[in-house]
Amino acid sequence: MTENKTTYNEAALRLEAIVAALERGGLGLDETLKLYEEGALLLKTCQAELIAAEGRLNELRLEDLEHDLQTQEAESNE
Amino acid sequence: MTGRGEATTGPLAVGQFVSMIKRTLSHEPMFQRQSIKGEVSQWKSYPSGHTYFTLRDDDGQLSAVIWKGRCTIHPSIKEGTEVVVTASLDVYVKRGNIQLIVERIEPVNTLGAMEEAKRMLIERLRHEGELDRVRMLPPFVPKHIAIVTGAGSAALADMHRLIDNRWPGMRRTVIGVLVQGERAPEQIVRALALTRRMAQPETAERRSEPPVDLVIVGRGGGSPEDLWAFNLEPVVRAILASPVPVVSAVGHESDLLVSDLVADIRASTPSNAIERCIPVRAELEQWMDELDHRLEHAARRTFGDARQRLVSLHARLKVAPLAGINAAKRTLLAQQSSLNRATEQRFSHERTRLAGLEAALQAIHPRRVLERGYAMTQTEDGTVITRAGSLEVGQTFNLHFVDGTAEAAVTDIHTKEE
Repeated sequence: MTENKTTYNEAALRLEAIVAALERGGLGLDETLKLYEEGALLLKTCQAELIAAEGRLNELRLEDLEHDLQTQEAESNE
Repeated sequence: MTGRGEATTGPLAVGQFVSMIKRTLSHEPMFQRQSIKGEVSQWKSYPSGHTYFTLRDDDGQLSAVIWKGRCTIHPSIKEGTEVVVTASLDVYVKRGNIQLIVERIEPVNTLGAMEEAKRMLIERLRHEGELDRVRMLPPFVPKHIAIVTGAGSAALADMHRLIDNRWPGMRRTVIGVLVQGERAPEQIVRALALTRRMAQPETAERRSEPPVDLVIVGRGGGSPEDLWAFNLEPVVRAILASPVPVVSAVGHESDLLVSDLVADIRASTPSNAIERCIPVRAELEQWMDELDHRLEHAARRTFGDARQRLVSLHARLKVAPLAGINAAKRTLLAQQSSLNRATEQRFSHERTRLAGLEAALQAIHPRRVLERGYAMTQTEDGTVITRAGSLEVGQTFNLHFVDGTAEAAVTDIHTKEE
């Protein structure tokens, strides 16, 4: 999932640029609408990224995790 | 030496006195966890598991004890071995002996060999270009952190506390390993192998969790020997093999570890690793809220402006025809009034001129002449008589005076000789 690595930051920076352009004004309605829609989508992406970082806290012993991974791998190969 | 709070009357019991010595020594930092070099003599291990020996050199000596299981004893240590111990001074009250309680013992030649191995490893890595490799950046928001560190360690507790402060409930997998001692390097290497697997999308999918996208490997501070695992080639190679960024997070002040040199991110402590890699969620949310607000506001303003323009154009459109007529009317009125003004001016000018003429006319009116005593002659048909030669004797004519007319007749005519 390396392609997602900078998604949040890139999306947020692009969003920042869009907002700045809209705030400067002077754009056509078509363009304003297009940028607004893109901005709204980026906002959703960013917010989803924040939620995606939530999850379980696993504290595992080395042997247990090795065993887990081994078993899961074997099961998926069957 | 008078003990504070001790018996102040009569002599001290010797046991009490030795206890006072013990307490004093144990409060003196210089005698605690001190690094001391010397030669091993009278080395003796007992079935109880404790080991007793004397640490000596040509100028002095001291009894020393290694309690059972307190530290790893290198198998090469025997009578006459040069060693460095980390030990605290203690008093064995029963016998009044001072002795060293050893926490760590390393043969001097081993320490030297370790330093040399570290130096050569760094040289090798430099040669391979690993020290100059392009480092991976940590993900802006890690979705799954793997932490390789001592299970139940203070360092781990610190990391958990910091993560939960910055990003409550952030997903993490802790792999508990031994971080010092002989088995540490092997366990760290195995744990890092697991993080590599968990970074693979297929493995992650099987486990129904996002792939590991950041690895923190580390431990709290300790003596150079405690941290030595992080200078060993297998651990270093395992860090280099990671497909996702690795943070070297070993607590230490001086002396770089080889893991610091090869990791993608070098943190000075486990806590520092968290501060450098985990953003503060509330701050990001605030940023998003602000962008949300600004986006809405900016777009609404643009559309609002456009609508406003439209409304105003519409209003102007509605009144435009009337406005045109009114404007034409106004123009007409203005033209009319200026025409009137011009005409009036012209009349007044003429009036002035006529008055002048009238006055001039008045001045030369015949009546004025008659008033002065002249009379005007006219034939009966009204022709003005200007010459005597035009008359005949007996002809009647009219004389006009200022106040009336008289009828006269010609009785004689005398013309002037020219």
